[in-house]
Amino acid sequence: MSNKKQKIRIWDLPTRIYHWLQLLVVVGALLSGFFAPEWWLGIHVWLGYGLIALLVFRIAWGFFGPEYSRFSSFIFSPKTLISHIKGIKEGKPLHFFGHNPLGALMIFALIAVLLGISLSGLINLGGVENQGALAGFVDYATGDIAGKVHLFLAFALIAMIFLHILGVVVEGKISKSNLTKSMIDGDKPLLEGEKAPILRPTLFVPAILSIAGIGLILVVGSVSMSKVPASGFIAMPISQTYQSECSDCHIIYHPSLLPKNSWAIMMDDLSEHFGEDASLDDETRDIIANYLVRYSAENWDSEAANNLLLVDKEKPIQITATAYWKLRHAKIDEEVFKSKPVRTAANCEACHSDAKTGRFADENISIPKPKKQP
Amino acid sequence: MRNLLIIISILAFFPAMAASAGPREDVIAQLETLAKSDDANFSGFDAARGKKLFSAKFSTGKPETPSCTSCHSTSPKNAGETRAGKAIDPMALSKTSDRYTDPKKVEKWFRRNCNSVLGRECTPLEKGDFLAFMISQ
Repeated sequence: MSNKKQKIRIWDLPTRIYHWLQLLVVVGALLSGFFAPEWWLGIHVWLGYGLIALLVFRIAWGFFGPEYSRFSSFIFSPKTLISHIKGIKEGKPLHFFGHNPLGALMIFALIAVLLGISLSGLINLGGVENQGALAGFVDYATGDIAGKVHLFLAFALIAMIFLHILGVVVEGKISKSNLTKSMIDGDKPLLEGEKAPILRPTLFVPAILSIAGIGLILVVGSVSMSKVPASGFIAMPISQTYQSECSDCHIIYHPSLLPKNSWAIMMDDLSEHFGEDASLDDETRDIIANYLVRYSAENWDSEAANNLLLVDKEKPIQITATAYWKLRHAKIDEEVFKSKPVRTAANCEACHSDAKTGRFADENISIPKPKKQP
Repeated sequence: MRNLLIIISILAFFPAMAASAGPREDVIAQLETLAKSDDANFSGFDAARGKKLFSAKFSTGKPETPSCTSCHSTSPKNAGETRAGKAIDPMALSKTSDRYTDPKKVEKWFRRNCNSVLGRECTPLEKGDFLAFMISQ
């Protein structure tokens, strides 16, 4: 008998690549989600699509992959689970080649949470941002709830990642094997006198067919679904009167940015308009007032319209006085608003390139560096 | 000789053209009529008085806009900027050649801006002086 320790291939190359790619994607998504500024949303979303692709692979591999990647190889009875836990307590753990019963539970939980994070993210993107495959199908309120679920699952995921690492460390100590190394080279050593079990091979044809099939359905489905117009936005004609009369002094504010009462109050007294007399003849004023009231915030289901419905009691006509506006701009240095090229907080277009459309998408924010006043 | 005949015939068909030199002059003529009815001794608009009005600081209007120069920059030949950050074409006729031709527009902005800066309507004399200054620039 040879002295050389015999090895057994536990994790095939695709499974290992999947594992480490998923680590990168998850860390990237967590960092961009928690710490990156709003305009990184596009990167966060693409990491999410990457995660979905990885999960499709993992699930197909769970049915058709090599022995230890198959779900059926790590579904354990409660009895086995209990004796595994007992074994750990007594320092005499049972030996498993692939996932042990506790580790297996974590794998299922991780896959479930990652699927939940992907789905809640997609619903949040469609409902709140009016983007992605679900933009035409999910309302703001649903998207908002999905956002809270997404955040909760992200915290749960962080806790699970730490538990997963703890599990690897503990299991490694107890079984005196390097589990991280196994996930890199794919092998685990056989114990003294242990026989290599007979392993089910990868069923490449069904695996590839199912990955391609699910992938095709997801891509074609989401591309055709994202062609449905975003549910938060309605068709609105452009009012030449509003454009020409009001744009002499300021940007054209989208009518969805204030509720109808606010527009009515504003248009009722234009001689006191933010510190200036902006009075109009009655006919022109009525045309503009009717237009703004007709397309006020109540008529839209966008992120801005939903949040700007709640105006300030003292200053009901000032968008920048709303609690929502203040909250979303709290981190921005006063200097940015005061100096060129922004000049004033009322100049939405200086940072929001899509302000005209009322969308205010996260990716369309670009805050210019303040220039020193001459 | 032939040209003269053409001109005469045009003038004969459109007598209004002979009476008015253009919409800007109409705006001024209208203000002159009003100034005369205010003051029998009215002897024409004065660009120097218009210049003073343009640069003067007032405490009677809205605190945000004490002077024309608050938004129009200190020289009529320079572009101005509204408080909301929009550029305003220079007031001087030499810089913005289509100014002061639409009587409705002229009235709208005198009504708004006199109220904002002076806290009252401007008199026909003030308006005429102001336009005389801008046209001379």
